[in-house]
Amino acid sequence: MSWLRRPSEAPLWQDEFSVFTADERYVNRRQFTKFLTLTSFAMLAGNLWILARSIFYRAPKYAPLAVAALGEVPVGAVKLFAYPSPRDPCILVRPADDTYIAYSQKCTHLSCAVYYARAQNRLECPCHQGYFSITDGSVLQGPPQRPLPRVALETRDGKLFAVGMEGERT
Amino acid sequence: MFGMEFYVDPSRCIGCQSCLKACEECETHRGVSMINFDFVDRADSIATAAYVCWHCDNPTCAQVCPADAIKKYEDGIVGSSLKPRCIACSNCVLACPFGIPKLVPEYEQMMKCDMCYDRTSVGKRPMCATVCPSQALSYVTPETIAATRREKPVNTFWFGEQKITTKVFMMAPAATDAISIDVADYIWEGEHELAPQAF
Amino acid sequence: MAKTPLPVAELTSRYGPHLNYTPPGGWQDESRNAAEKLVKTHCCFCGQQCGIQLKVRENRVIGFEPWEDFPFNRGMLCPKGVKRYLQGNHPDRLLSPLLRTEHGFQPSTWDEALDFTARRLREIQDKYGKDAVAVYGGASLTTEKAYLMGKFARVGLGTRHIDYNGRLCMVSAGVAYKGVFGVDRSPNPWSDIAKAEVVMVIGGNIGECAPITTDYIWRARDHGARLIVADPRFTPIARNADLYLPVRPGTDLAMLMAMLHVIIRDGLADREFIAAHTTGFETTAASVAEWTPERAAEISGVAPEAIERAAHWIAESRRSMLMHARGLEHQSKGVENCEAVAAIALATGNIGREGAGCVMITGQGNGQGGREHGQKCDQLPGQRSLSDPAAREYVAGVWGIAPDELPAPGYSAVEIMNAIHRGEIKGLLSICFNPLVSLPDANFTREALERLEFFGVIDFFLSETAMHADVVLAGSLQEEEEGVTANVEARVIHIQKAVEPPANARRDSEIICDLARRLGRERYFPFREPREIFDELRLASRGGIADYYGITYERIDREKGVFWPCPSSDHPGTPRLFENGKFFHADGKARFMKLEWRDGGDPVDAEFPVYLTTGRVVSQYLSGTQTRRIGALVDQYPEPKLEIHPRLAAQFGIQTGDRVTITTRRASITLPAMVVRTIRPDTVFIPYHWPGGRSANLLTHRTLDPRSKIPEFKVSACRVARESA
Repeated sequence: MSWLRRPSEAPLWQDEFSVFTADERYVNRRQFTKFLTLTSFAMLAGNLWILARSIFYRAPKYAPLAVAALGEVPVGAVKLFAYPSPRDPCILVRPADDTYIAYSQKCTHLSCAVYYARAQNRLECPCHQGYFSITDGSVLQGPPQRPLPRVALETRDGKLFAVGMEGERT
Repeated sequence: MFGMEFYVDPSRCIGCQSCLKACEECETHRGVSMINFDFVDRADSIATAAYVCWHCDNPTCAQVCPADAIKKYEDGIVGSSLKPRCIACSNCVLACPFGIPKLVPEYEQMMKCDMCYDRTSVGKRPMCATVCPSQALSYVTPETIAATRREKPVNTFWFGEQKITTKVFMMAPAATDAISIDVADYIWEGEHELAPQAF
Repeated sequence: MAKTPLPVAELTSRYGPHLNYTPPGGWQDESRNAAEKLVKTHCCFCGQQCGIQLKVRENRVIGFEPWEDFPFNRGMLCPKGVKRYLQGNHPDRLLSPLLRTEHGFQPSTWDEALDFTARRLREIQDKYGKDAVAVYGGASLTTEKAYLMGKFARVGLGTRHIDYNGRLCMVSAGVAYKGVFGVDRSPNPWSDIAKAEVVMVIGGNIGECAPITTDYIWRARDHGARLIVADPRFTPIARNADLYLPVRPGTDLAMLMAMLHVIIRDGLADREFIAAHTTGFETTAASVAEWTPERAAEISGVAPEAIERAAHWIAESRRSMLMHARGLEHQSKGVENCEAVAAIALATGNIGREGAGCVMITGQGNGQGGREHGQKCDQLPGQRSLSDPAAREYVAGVWGIAPDELPAPGYSAVEIMNAIHRGEIKGLLSICFNPLVSLPDANFTREALERLEFFGVIDFFLSETAMHADVVLAGSLQEEEEGVTANVEARVIHIQKAVEPPANARRDSEIICDLARRLGRERYFPFREPREIFDELRLASRGGIADYYGITYERIDREKGVFWPCPSSDHPGTPRLFENGKFFHADGKARFMKLEWRDGGDPVDAEFPVYLTTGRVVSQYLSGTQTRRIGALVDQYPEPKLEIHPRLAAQFGIQTGDRVTITTRRASITLPAMVVRTIRPDTVFIPYHWPGGRSANLLTHRTLDPRSKIPEFKVSACRVARESA
């Protein structure tokens, strides 16, 4: 530790226990208690701010994205897209003739890409056999703890648009 | 701080002990006087001397205190022992070359002059120097001393090999630079440095 | 009958002195609660009258704070001033009047006590005549009260016997200066001391009796001044003396006359000044013609060369300041001694200029003011003479009586005690005086007190003298009543009231006025407040030498004191007298006096071969009634010691601490010895602040200076011996 000190001829104990109040590095009880109290208050304030933030939270609005034209995707097939940003992989599934549904493709367990198992009509994750319901993305089996986030879809002028992520609190 | 310094001139002392009486009337150590007062040798002389703590630049008392109970504050005043820390070991009493600290057995604590810190820290003058009728103890600006006294304020003392510089000044004959009490310091020994004195 | 009602020891254990060490509530009290107010006032003790601020809370004085703005002492104080506040809230404080019974003193009501006092005074005057009662006043009273006592004696009681304890203090200097200069006052303000080139202190233990004056003298030396000290003892002020003159007690006149002799012989006299501003120089020159330094050396023990040097230093400087105190004045030649000092100042032209003059160092708090306005046996307000028809007419007019109703001059203080002793005076009313401790020959004083048919005392502690009283009226401390005093330089200053008198004690002036009412003299004493007394005093002093007419409390507060004479409200006051050689006699000139040597009243001989001199210590004040009750001051010097030189001590095998019996022609006492080289080998010294068996005044004698009537405290003959085991 000696390299941390200012160069001095005096022995270490003299620097540590300086008789000059100007050189003292010790804090006294009062200073320490003040420090604890102030830090405590700071933490409380921080937590209150976080609480306030979450109470007054508004869901972010994303720009709509054209995913596919109606009829473009055959029944039982999928189309992959990215929404809301290029780094968010999503999967559009047409399980029935007039049913289109889309989810985030990132498995909520460890973010492996889920695929549509057509025979079982569900979304499956190959990594740890996590299965998700196609109707609402809830977990059917496996290690995932949270349902798959669902992409809100809207039909406009014969096209399917992704307009938001459902499940994000409003 | 506030531009005034403490000057001691024992040759002016008339032995009235007003300093002792006023010291114990202060706001901090009520009822206990911190002045060191002596009849130098009453059988042969009426000479008396009163001293306050010299508030050394590197206080010996503080350096030897095992409990870190004596502190020198940023304005140069060396405080009396801190009550929670002092263990009444008398190390400082023995170590001080001027013999200033006193052990007060009833309080189990060393007590010494703190230059009326309750007064000097707010720009008032210490009790002893305010009341001293002969101004043997004086608390004035250096300009006043230079303008009114023929003696020279000196704050360097040699005790054998130990050089002590102090915040409080001793009035000495003009042209004195340091006060040395060891005769050896005045002996010519070839290259050995003589203690300067007025010739 | 004024024997003490109980043995003194029993009265002492009941009424003190007990030692008070701590402020009200103890040392910790004030640290928690601050003072409510700071009262700017002055010390209650000596004539320096240092400015001081008293800390007051809940009607109690709890401490002090220096008053750095008051110009005389600039915050400085001696130990007595620092601790004076411990007189308040004292267990010994008299809280109600006391009446004497066979079982000791009993508290009484004011009506009882005052009616009793008035009745007894009346009875004695009816039976034996108006002059069978006497009044003692004091020089630590405010000027208002000093004036009141003079008026009370003459107009209230109609007696001619009124005198005061200042008779033991300033009268030698007073008579001398009155005769030489025409006025009894220090001619120079104290600031002149620091401007002098030569300062001579003769008979003044400045370091212990006027400590604040030390700084003035040290500052003079800082500017290169030389200091001459003449004293049988080497006192603290002498430690920086350039010339020390170890004058034998009682022989100062020889030395001073020799100095005059040298000044004339060596052509150092200021002939121009003498011719223009003085008369009678030839008289003094003739007086000192035979007083060579050699002759003076034989008598005084001061070397001829030292006398020559002192004379030359003083005469060759245009700024010489000569200062004297009781050492010079407590002698049967006290007046001559002061006349000689004044003659040196006049002969060398060292008077009436900055840094040049001669001053007496007034000892008591209001020694100056208390000797100006009628408290003296021959004086009327304004420092007027009671024998002067014009003065009598004026003052009688102010008082509303016919001039011939004013009595003739009466006895001085010691003479009053002599008259009591021989039965001529039967009744005594006393305030601010403790004669059993302060008058010489204490056994005589006690016998006299025991012969009084009535003795009434106004005091705040039961002093040793008050133990003999028939009635003790509980009076006020200095901080309990407003008034003015005049300090050593005749600066009139304001004493502020800080607290009310406690319990059933009353202000002194109220007591006197109430007593006057009960004597049927109400219309002459209508005063309700000290201010009213002061206003009458101003009028009564108007046109007199000590003219206070232009002084008001408000002016004093604004100007930090006003020097008299001050004849009108636009007059600035008179700090320095005799400027331009104008003196107070009708012809405007100062007078040189005839100086004649005579022997003292208690000569040394084979049986009593040693000189005894008495004096003071710095921690005690006068008879000690107040300071012997303050613990810290008693601890500083607890009991009187006999100072004796090793050569004299060796003759009797005495060492420090041995108990030594000192015997004079009057009595013997035994004290511990203090063997020191700082005193003449033919002289011993005892401080006089203690009563009873330790009282120095048991040993002293009642010889008075014939003109001033001051006792010769400083010169007695004694012998010493180790106490036989």
